[in-house]
Amino acid sequence: MNQQIREHRPPRLPQRFLRWYCKPDLLEDIEGDIHEDYNKRYTRSGKHKARLYYWLDVIRFFRPFAIRNIFKAQIHNNMFKFNTLIAFRNLSKNKLYSFINIAGLAIGIAACLIIAHYVIFQMGYDRFHENADRIYRVHVSTVQNGEDWGASAFTGFALAPALEKDIPEFDAVIRAHPYYGGGVVSKVVDSVNTGSFREESMLFADPDILKMLSFDFVQGDGATALDDPSAIIITESTKTKYFGNSNELVLGEILNVNGGWARGDMKVTGVIKDLPANSHFKFDFLMPMATVLEDEQYQSEDADWGWTNFYTYAMLNPQNTEPQVEEKIADLMHKYQGETLETDGLKQTIGLQQLPEIHLRSEVESDDMTTPGDIKSVYFMIIIAAFILVIAWINFINLSTAKASERGLEVGIKKAIGAQRNQLMGQFLTESFWVNFIAIGLAILITFISMPYLNVIIGEQLEVNLLHPVILASLIGLTLIGPMLAGLYPAVVMSSFKTVTALKGKFISKNSHAFNLRRGLVVFQFIISTLLIVGTFTVSRQLTFMQNEDTGMSLSQILAVKGPEVNVSRAGFEAFKNNMSQYASVEAFSSSRSVPGAGYNWGTEARKSGTQSSSNGRINVTWIDENFLDAFDMELISGRNFEFSQENIQHGLIVNEACLDAFGLGTAEQALNEKMIISSDTVFIRGVVKDHHWNSLHSDYSPAVFMYRWASVDYFSLKVNPQNIEATIDEVESQFNEAFPGNPVEYYFLNEFFNRQYKADLAFANLFKAFALFAILAACMGLFGLASYSVVQKAKEIGVRRVLGASSGQITYLFSRRYLILMLIANVIAIPIAYWGINDWLNDFAFSISITPELFLLPVIILLGIAAITVSFQTLRASRLNPVKNLRSE
Amino acid sequence: MKGTNLGEFQELVLLTIGALYPEAYGVGIKEEIKSRTGRSVTLSTVHAALNRMEKKGLIKSELGEATSIRGGKRKRYFTITSYGVKALSDVKAQREALWNSIPDIVFKAQFS
Repeated sequence: MNQQIREHRPPRLPQRFLRWYCKPDLLEDIEGDIHEDYNKRYTRSGKHKARLYYWLDVIRFFRPFAIRNIFKAQIHNNMFKFNTLIAFRNLSKNKLYSFINIAGLAIGIAACLIIAHYVIFQMGYDRFHENADRIYRVHVSTVQNGEDWGASAFTGFALAPALEKDIPEFDAVIRAHPYYGGGVVSKVVDSVNTGSFREESMLFADPDILKMLSFDFVQGDGATALDDPSAIIITESTKTKYFGNSNELVLGEILNVNGGWARGDMKVTGVIKDLPANSHFKFDFLMPMATVLEDEQYQSEDADWGWTNFYTYAMLNPQNTEPQVEEKIADLMHKYQGETLETDGLKQTIGLQQLPEIHLRSEVESDDMTTPGDIKSVYFMIIIAAFILVIAWINFINLSTAKASERGLEVGIKKAIGAQRNQLMGQFLTESFWVNFIAIGLAILITFISMPYLNVIIGEQLEVNLLHPVILASLIGLTLIGPMLAGLYPAVVMSSFKTVTALKGKFISKNSHAFNLRRGLVVFQFIISTLLIVGTFTVSRQLTFMQNEDTGMSLSQILAVKGPEVNVSRAGFEAFKNNMSQYASVEAFSSSRSVPGAGYNWGTEARKSGTQSSSNGRINVTWIDENFLDAFDMELISGRNFEFSQENIQHGLIVNEACLDAFGLGTAEQALNEKMIISSDTVFIRGVVKDHHWNSLHSDYSPAVFMYRWASVDYFSLKVNPQNIEATIDEVESQFNEAFPGNPVEYYFLNEFFNRQYKADLAFANLFKAFALFAILAACMGLFGLASYSVVQKAKEIGVRRVLGASSGQITYLFSRRYLILMLIANVIAIPIAYWGINDWLNDFAFSISITPELFLLPVIILLGIAAITVSFQTLRASRLNPVKNLRSE
Repeated sequence: MKGTNLGEFQELVLLTIGALYPEAYGVGIKEEIKSRTGRSVTLSTVHAALNRMEKKGLIKSELGEATSIRGGKRKRYFTITSYGVKALSDVKAQREALWNSIPDIVFKAQFS
C-alpha cells in the first residue's frame, strides 16, 4: 500500500491489555487493524497522537463482542477455588479473630449502608417530580439602608402574574397558599355535616400546579381537577379517613371546609397517591387558588403586593437556563413597586431556588410545610459513615498483620516449595475477599434489622432499598474495593517474608515498621472515637440546655387549647371563658392569637414615631388579652399591663426589651413616652416586657410587640393546677364541646409543644449517638483483637514474669499501659479538633452552652475506661493462667 | 440466527465490503466509509458490525497475508455471502418500492 508508512512500535501497556482481554480468535485481526491504524497515524500526525489513539482504540474494543470470558477463565485455573478453601480453613481455625474481623467490618459497612439510606432520602427531596430540575421557588431578598434582611419565600399574589407576563422563559408560574392555622373538614351527606376532623395541611394553588408537579392520580383527571373553583383534591389516606377503605369512586362527594380561609362545600375532583415522605409540599387537601383570593383580606388596596402570604413557583422552559432568567427577574420588584420601595428605602431582588434544593438549603425564610433539613448535617453523616468504614478497615488491617507472624511458617514453606509472590498475594487477597464478602452479607442483615429503629430515631419512614443505584453501586464497590484496600497491605507484608527467616520464625523483629503502622492506626481510630463521643456529649448537652433553659415564661403549667373553627359565637366564647376561669383547678385563663412556639401572628415594618420611613425595621406582632402576661408569668419591666376593655380604642403596645435597642426607644422608662408607627398606624407604648424566648433558642431575641384583643379564638391558654390534671382536661373537653359544638378538641401542654421545635435537633442528636456507638464498638473490637493477640504472643513472657513473682495486677498494668499511652496520644490530637468542631456547631445557636473542660474530660474518661476494660480483660485472663502451661511447650 | 433486519450502519458496511471486493478488511472498510460518506467511525464499531454480520451469515471471512505495518499480523478479508446479497437486494427493493410510492407532488412542493 503506502510506501512511506513505516513500522513503529506501539505502546506496550495497551497492547498487553488488549491481548489479555481479547478473544483469541479475534485477537490477530483486531490487533493487526489497530496496529495498522497506529502506523498510519504515526506517519500522518506524529507519535503522540498515534499513541493516544492506540490507547483509545484498545479501550473502545473493550466491549462484549471482543472480550473473552475473563471470570470463567479464573475459576478454571482452579486457584480461586483452592484459595477459597484455604481461606475458610484459616477462618475457622481462628474463630475469635475471624469473628472480630467479620463482625467489625459488618458493623462498619452496615453503618455506611444505613447512613447512605438517610443521605439518599435527604438529598432526594422533591426529586420525584419529573420536572424538578426546572422548577424554582421564587424568593425576594431585601436590603434596607445597607442592612440585609435576608431572603424570604413569602410573596404577594401579584408576583406570579407579573412573572408570567414579563418573563416568557417561564412555562408556568403558580402560587401556593397554605391554609394558615388549619381548619375543620367534614364529610357532607345529604346536606348534613358528618365526621369532622381538624386538618392542618391544606393547600391552595393555581390549577397549573398539576401541570408543573407530578402527582399520581388514582381517581379523577390530572389535567382539569382544579379547574372548578369549588374543587378539592385529596390524598389516598385522606380518602380512607373520610370515606372508608373501599375502592369506590369518591369523585363528586362533598367535603365541607371551614376555617379562616375558605368556607363552604367543596366537591372532590381527584384522589392522588400520598405524597412521598421526602416532598417539601405537604398537604392532604389541595384546593384552587381562586377560593382564597376572594377573601376579604386580599380584596383591599395594596393587598396584591402587600400581603406576602403566598409562595410563588415557576417552571423554566427547558431551553433556558437559570442565570439567563435570574438576571431578567432581579429587578422586577422595582418595576412594579418602585415608589413604595423607594420611600421605605428598600432594595428588593428576586431570586430563584431549585425545587430539590429547598429542603436542604433552607436559608430562605419560609413557613415550610415540613421541617427543613440541613445540608451540613447530611455532609456530617457522610463523614461519619466514612469514619466508621475506615475504622472497620483499620481493624481488619491491624488484625491481619498482627496475625502475620502466625502465618510466617505457612508462607515460608510455600515459598520453599516454589510459590511465587503473586500467588501468595492471591491467596491472602482471596481470604480478604471472603471476609469482606461475608461481612457485607451480614451488614445487609444488620441494615434490615436496624432500619426500623433508625426510623424511630429520625422520625421518618425509610425503607431498605438495596436496588437503589447508589446503594447498589456502593455495595459492588465495597465488595471489589474493600478487599483490595484492606487486604492489600497485609497481603504485601505477609508475602514479603524471606523464606529462610520465615521458616526460622524470626520475622517479628524485622517487621517493626508494621508494628508502628498498627500503633498509628490504633491512634487514628481513637482520635475518631474521641471526636464522636465528645460531639455526642456536646450535642445532647446543648439539647438538654435548650429544652430546660428558662424561656422567660412558665410554660409547664399551661394547657393550650386550639380554638374552634366552626360555630364560633360571642356567647360561646364568653361561656367558655367564664366557666373555665371559675373552675377551681384553673389558675388563669387567657385567649390569644398565638402561643410560644407557634410563631408570631404578623411580621411587618415599624419605626419610632417622628423618624423617616427609611428607618423602618422588622417587627413581629402577637395579639393577646389582659390575662396573658400573668398566665405565662412574664415580667413587666416598666409600664402597665393591658386592661380589660371591649371598646374599640387604642390600647397601646407592650414591647419587648429587644425593641428598645432596635428602634432607639431609650431605656424602659423612657420608652413609655414614645410612640411607634407599626405598618402605618401610630400607637403609644404602654409597657415593656422582659425578653423571652417566643421561638426556639436557635434564634436570638428579636423585636416583638403585643397588641390587645379582648377575645381571640385561636388559642386558649389555661394555667392549670398540676393536681387533678385528668379531671381538669375532662372539664375542658366538655365545656369546649358545649361552647363550640362541632369542633374537635385539641390541646397540649405548652412546654411539650414548645419543645417540638427541637424535633430536627433531637433527631440529629439521636442519630449522632447511634453512630458514635457504632464507631466506638468497632474501635473497641479492634482493640480487643489486638490486645488478645499480643497476649498470645507474649504468653511466655507472662509465664516467666509470673514465675518470678509478678502479681497479676502488675502484669495487667504492664500490658495495658502501652494501649493507654496510645489512647492518650489520640486524645491529645483529638481534643483541639473537637474544640474547633464544637465551637463551629454551637455558633449556629443564638443561645448555647459554654465550652468547658468537662465537655472533653468526661468523654475522654469514659473512653479510656471502655478501652481499659477491653484491654485488661484479655491481659488479666492471661495473667491468671497457670504459667507452667505456657512455659512447658517449646 | 439473530434476525434478518439490516441496521443502517450494517447496511453501509455490507455495501462497502461489496465495493472493496475482494480486499475488504477492517481498516480498509473504515477508510472507505470515511472517504465516501465523510463519517468518522471507530475501528471497534466496524469490527462489532463485522462480527455481528458474520454471526448472522451475511458475510464470511478468511485470513490473508501479514504485513509489517500490521506488526506481522494477518489481515482478515471479508466477502459477502449469497445470503448477504439477498439481504442487500431486499433492502434495496423495499426502498425502491417506497420511493415509487411517493407522489410526484411531494417533490414538486419540495423544489418549487
